[in-house]
Amino acid sequence: MVNNQEKLLRYLKQIETLASDILVDKNEIIMLDKRRNKNREALRDLTKSSQKKYWLTVGSILVKHKFEDTKTLLEADQKQLNIDINKLRSDLKIKVNTLRDLEMQPPVPGLMLVPLSQKETEGLTKSNLFSL
Amino acid sequence: MASIAAAQVQEVRSITRIERIGAHSHIRGLGLDDSLEPRQVSQGMVGQKMARKAAGVILQMIREGKIAGRAVLLAGQPGTGKTAIAMGLAQALGPDTPFTSMAGSEIFSLEMSKTEALTQAIRKSIGIRIKEESEIIEGEVVEVVVERAAGGGGARVGRLTLKTTDMETNYDMGAKMIDSLLKEKVQAGDVITIDKATGKINKLGRSFARARDYDATGQQARFVQCPEGELQKRKEVVHTVTLHEVDVINSRTHGFLALFSGDTGEIKSEIREQINSKVAEWREEGKAEMIPGVLFIDEAHMLDIECFSFLNRALESETAPIVIMATNRGITRIRGTTYRSPHGIPLDLLDRMIIVATSPYSQSELKDILNIRCEEEDCQMSADALTVLTRVATETSLRYAIQLITTASLVAKRRKAAEVSMEDVKKVYSLFLDEHRSEQFLKEYQDEFMFNDGSGDASQVMMEVSQ
Repeated sequence: MVNNQEKLLRYLKQIETLASDILVDKNEIIMLDKRRNKNREALRDLTKSSQKKYWLTVGSILVKHKFEDTKTLLEADQKQLNIDINKLRSDLKIKVNTLRDLEMQPPVPGLMLVPLSQKETEGLTKSNLFSL
Repeated sequence: MASIAAAQVQEVRSITRIERIGAHSHIRGLGLDDSLEPRQVSQGMVGQKMARKAAGVILQMIREGKIAGRAVLLAGQPGTGKTAIAMGLAQALGPDTPFTSMAGSEIFSLEMSKTEALTQAIRKSIGIRIKEESEIIEGEVVEVVVERAAGGGGARVGRLTLKTTDMETNYDMGAKMIDSLLKEKVQAGDVITIDKATGKINKLGRSFARARDYDATGQQARFVQCPEGELQKRKEVVHTVTLHEVDVINSRTHGFLALFSGDTGEIKSEIREQINSKVAEWREEGKAEMIPGVLFIDEAHMLDIECFSFLNRALESETAPIVIMATNRGITRIRGTTYRSPHGIPLDLLDRMIIVATSPYSQSELKDILNIRCEEEDCQMSADALTVLTRVATETSLRYAIQLITTASLVAKRRKAAEVSMEDVKKVYSLFLDEHRSEQFLKEYQDEFMFNDGSGDASQVMMEVSQ
């Protein structure tokens, strides 16, 4: 009897942790995307304005940098953000499927498929296969 | 006068919903509970517990992919629910699994050879799942600012501000982007998606928050919620296509039209082989998943010996669907030969099949079925009318009784009654003959019919029906 209760508790804990993980990941993707967009706006402004030195925020400290350094730093940050977001997204897919598995639901169809390349998609849409 | 004017206002009946009520449209599933035990009356199925339980086991095996390339045979007397079980199985499998239903005699056509028709039917029952992916920017437009640089040769500068419920940002746009924005007539308050790869702009609608902006909007005004989450999303669309569709698209220039008209003709085997190798390649790369579906052949005794041999071979291939056959024949001649065998199917194919038998219904089950059909055909029946109908069904056949339901309800409607009564049922029973009475009638008056052989009952070869 106690064994059953323990098992049930453990099972519920598992599901809840996984679910909150998924939600946390989703929020993090939103945060990272916000930063990505801000960086993009900053890069835009950089190319437009013609100042020599710029102030960059690192945590809660403001640091002055030259034009080229700022550009390099921002671009490196963008690259890292892209990598992070992609990694989070693929992990998210695995987590969602695990959750559905735990909840005795069938996995989302086609989640784990490798997507078709651009040329293949073009060919299939051109032949009107997908408009059906 | 008001009453005359009122009488002239015709009652307008809306006929927008045209529902075709077929013989098996009341079936929503197999009616099994979670432990695959059949309930007596559930989801449109009544009784026939053993066959339904067997169908439930087969359903599980199909779901786990463990039965691809094997065959099932549903055998039983006419009117015992074979097609109904197949329909239930189709509904229970869900919309994602390809389910092709055909009658045995559909194989024979002048346009295609029998093997081609069978190959097409088999390939219609195998689906592949592929996925398209694209990065899109989806958000609600806050403002669009387009400035034309004065005197600079018309070089335009544009700024687009997009937001979601979580974030907001602005984009600088180039000339082409400005052009497409202006072409799509994007305004503040529209919810749009921009495909990052192609630059295509798609308007999803207007945001609900801006619904009160104007007093009158056009007919096409569609309101959607402001999107949530990140602006730059990854959109994945999963498509399920059958191998037959891929064949047809590849076999002629305007192949997709052939899919609608059904005029596919013979498809060359080189095309099929190329498609098979491409699909195998994709499966190895993880780009496609194969979904073996179900091919249901009703009246399987109509297939001839060539079709059976072909099926023997086709079932051996690695991409074969589950074939479910149904027949109500007993020991009859196999078409195309003079040999007799059970169900009109050769013994070697029978050996590969799992056979599920159906048995005739009991009286209470017939009553339940008739009740369900009455509900489906939207007809109110009084209790004694139902009892009379059940007696009719027991004495004649279930199908005849089902036919009487709609006819009796029309007779009842004519005499402006809400319910069908016993008299209505008796009336239609006398109006429409069942096969037994029709046979009696013919026996008496056959000399007066045209083209009568006159041989009478001497050389009557009764159609063998499985007992």
